[in-house]
Amino acid sequence: MRPLTLSRLLAHCAILSAILFVVVVIALKLGAVPVSLYGLGHDLLRVLFRQTSQLSSEYQLIIFDIRLPRILLGIFVGASLSVAGASFQALLRNPLADPYVLGVSSGAAVGAIIALIIEPHLALAPAVAALLTPIGAFLGAALTVTAVYFLGLREGQIDSATLLLAGIISASFLQAIIMFFMSTLTGGNYRGIAFWMMGELQTQPPHIVSLVLRFGFFLAAAAIYTTAADLNLLLAGEQEAMHLGVDVRRVRLVVYIAASLLTGLAVSVSGAIGYVGLLVPHVMRLLFGSDHRILLPTAAFGGAIAVVVADTLARTVVSPSELPVGAMTAIAGAPLFLYLMRRRLA
Amino acid sequence: MSSYARSSPSALRPSGDAGDFNSDIRLSVEQVSYAYSANPTQAPLFTLEATSFQARPGEIIAIVGPNACGKSTLLKLIAGALEPLSGRVLLNGFVTHVLPHRTRGQRIAMVQQESPLLFPSRAWEFVLQGRHPYGRTLRFETEEDILIARNALAQVGAEHLSDRLMDQISGGEKQRVILARALAQQPLLLLLDEPTLHLDIGAQVDLLETLRRLASANRYTVVVVTHELNLAGQYADQVALFQKGKCLRVGPPATVFQRELLEQVFQTPLTVELGSSGRPRVNMPSAK
Amino acid sequence: MCSRPRGFVLTRKDARKKILARSSGAALLLFAASSCSTLQAQTPPVSPVAAPVYKDYVDEAGRTVRVPQPVQRIVSLAPSLTETIYALGVQDRLVGDTDYCDYPPDAQKKTKVGGAINPSLEQIVALRPDLVLVTKSLNLIETVHALDNLGVSSYGTDPHTVQEIVSSTERLAGVLGVPEAGAALGADLERHLADLQQRLSGLSPRRVLFIVWSDPLISVGKGTFIADALRLAGATSIVDSAQDWPHMSLEEVVRLQPDFLVFAASHSDSGQNDFDVLAARPGWRGLDAVRNRHFAVISDAVNRPAPRIVSAIEDLARQLHPEAFSTQPDDKEKKIPPPPPPLLRVLDSSMQVPAHLEVCACAL
Repeated sequence: MRPLTLSRLLAHCAILSAILFVVVVIALKLGAVPVSLYGLGHDLLRVLFRQTSQLSSEYQLIIFDIRLPRILLGIFVGASLSVAGASFQALLRNPLADPYVLGVSSGAAVGAIIALIIEPHLALAPAVAALLTPIGAFLGAALTVTAVYFLGLREGQIDSATLLLAGIISASFLQAIIMFFMSTLTGGNYRGIAFWMMGELQTQPPHIVSLVLRFGFFLAAAAIYTTAADLNLLLAGEQEAMHLGVDVRRVRLVVYIAASLLTGLAVSVSGAIGYVGLLVPHVMRLLFGSDHRILLPTAAFGGAIAVVVADTLARTVVSPSELPVGAMTAIAGAPLFLYLMRRRLA
Repeated sequence: MSSYARSSPSALRPSGDAGDFNSDIRLSVEQVSYAYSANPTQAPLFTLEATSFQARPGEIIAIVGPNACGKSTLLKLIAGALEPLSGRVLLNGFVTHVLPHRTRGQRIAMVQQESPLLFPSRAWEFVLQGRHPYGRTLRFETEEDILIARNALAQVGAEHLSDRLMDQISGGEKQRVILARALAQQPLLLLLDEPTLHLDIGAQVDLLETLRRLASANRYTVVVVTHELNLAGQYADQVALFQKGKCLRVGPPATVFQRELLEQVFQTPLTVELGSSGRPRVNMPSAK
Repeated sequence: MCSRPRGFVLTRKDARKKILARSSGAALLLFAASSCSTLQAQTPPVSPVAAPVYKDYVDEAGRTVRVPQPVQRIVSLAPSLTETIYALGVQDRLVGDTDYCDYPPDAQKKTKVGGAINPSLEQIVALRPDLVLVTKSLNLIETVHALDNLGVSSYGTDPHTVQEIVSSTERLAGVLGVPEAGAALGADLERHLADLQQRLSGLSPRRVLFIVWSDPLISVGKGTFIADALRLAGATSIVDSAQDWPHMSLEEVVRLQPDFLVFAASHSDSGQNDFDVLAARPGWRGLDAVRNRHFAVISDAVNRPAPRIVSAIEDLARQLHPEAFSTQPDDKEKKIPPPPPPLLRVLDSSMQVPAHLEVCACAL
């Protein structure tokens, strides 16, 4: 009998954060413009000691204004998607659930498209205009989440099967709307949306949006983590969980809202990056077990690592061109999914 | 092998401060009825008519009757999972339905047919889930929890299954582990919904013997829904006979297992004979 | 499978403290790292040369752009803009262009920064450009925003007609500091166009279908510069759509029965091939133009809003209206062209036209 202990949890998290650190350093090094590790370390120290005037400004720009924000974005998006994916898999009692199964990403895409369409007609300052797409995407996501919630109610309570159905139908419906828009959009808009729907981290959101993403991640992830033990029981069965003292209704609501928030925020800034929310939880289950108290934190780290790795590959394999990061996760994700299926999705 | 092997029954005694203020009656079902309708505009599909009975610590009550006569519904009402249409269920004077979830989990344990597990866990993990009502939000299991879980497995004779995966053990073994989880809750009330369903006769007897032993040793009140008339007759202190939502009779097995009553309820010729211990046996008459 | 080390169980209080401490530590670290980067974003790049001079321009997307003076290092993010730079003679200042910038051939030797819609920001920044050129129909607004955030100026063009291509070229020349070359180039283009108008005056335009893509069938909308180019070549597109790249149904095309099909191809052989492939498709024989093999192939310069489009227009005009070009104007019978329009007279007498750009007056 070896139950989960806090020290074991922290040990695993420490290992994963070390891996994440290494991945970040490598990601900072690689790119269209060569950067040496020694120089990188040196410059990071200089920055920490505020001796910034000695750095060449292009170097500064590349490392700190292009690569580092992009890596940070990747970390938070990856962590958000993985935690959301694990949560939805528990909530819907379905190992094939991913963060987008309830239509959040389609809703966000519709919101973003609408924002793109109306933006030229509004006379906005550039700073405000840049906010329009993420806000539009988030509103679209929020509206979809609300609609699916009410569609998924049964006798006043969230019912997993009904919720899943409602989500899938909403996603299909919204996809149809997206296709309609895309066939009528002109030139640059079309290309932009197609790129965005594949998931890309190249577009840096305005600073305030990044802050909201990070804050929202910690808030929502913490909320879900408080229900981690309950989720373990919920997976054993709803009736059984209730008899074991779980307030099923409250747990479902908290997880639904928090996981949708995580997904909505992630999709609003980076588009729909696929496979991360689906596969990272499964891999972490294989490695660390299904106990959500360890699954959720390790999934967060795992998702961050996965997205940073995928994004680094995306911007180096066909350098100086860039692939959308969603393409990279799909290329790696599909074979991995097959492999996991053959191991019977432990 | 380990120092935890001293499986003291007392470790599984009901916990907490909800002491038996009236040591005679622990469970009191008072005029409880229920109606269920799939559609608000339709007439209720099913009704449990006003039912009353009582049970003491250490007693086993068996609820018997044909299919779809409201047995499972009654169990859920007792567990506090459903709100009765009328009447109330009292556990040591507290209405079960309004108890907070946590407290309910510490007082009432339910053993029922399990839904298939999505991500199968090990038996010891499964049993540890029974300690959930005692933990705070962000908690990990304590030494005490582990001790209690081990104890529970030992009490049901399933310690050797501790490391096995739940989807790789037999039906009877699984049933024992589920019972162990219920014991780990240190409940006052133990509810079992058709626990003998997929078990062979040996396993059935085994289970009921265990329940008998546990009920008297740990002073549980046990309510068992079962089809097995003879098991009920052999092990239960009281039997409640239901037909179509109506409780026809409650009492010691000898008073409930009357031939005319049983034949009317089950719509088949039956004979009843009293065994040496005073317990009734229900038989099917030999084919002509 | 990872081995699970045996851990000791902590008391709850310790556990809580530890969780709190470590998570807040991690959070602080991440926030520190992120705020680090934002600090950098607020300091503009320091140029090694002392006191840079700027001039403000309003680009064709309505944005005010601060352009460093002089513009020595240019990065182009569109093939049309690369061509324009060469046409203006300032290609020495072009330090980077996209993978798709292939004309003139020398452009392929420039440092590549990636695609037009997904360029590498790092590569652009590493080239230290004074100005980045973008065009609204091809590049993404996100790229422009990202460049703004990095302190790199970008100037955008947005021509919708051939006339606008010409004026856009002249304006761009002004921004780049070579207004004379721009004016000269513009004048030359105008002259060619005017000549063309004169030749084609009185001739009824051919009804054409311009084929962007054959499967699915995509043509050009009436608001595009390609449609305008067709018009100037003595043709009118049978497609009347507000979308830029409308999908057409074959039925509709058969109903409208264009006189000619027009293909844009990089080589004339592939154009011929395009037509043959199309003609073999079921249903296409319903078109008169297919049965009579009435098709025109022009250079793919028509797809780019650059000076070279004028030669493509002329080429198309020659194919559609050969009679306007086969003879000298004097020999034409009833179609005697009117006297030279006043514009050309003004050009001849007052414009300072460099010798090598002077068009022979006998082309009239």
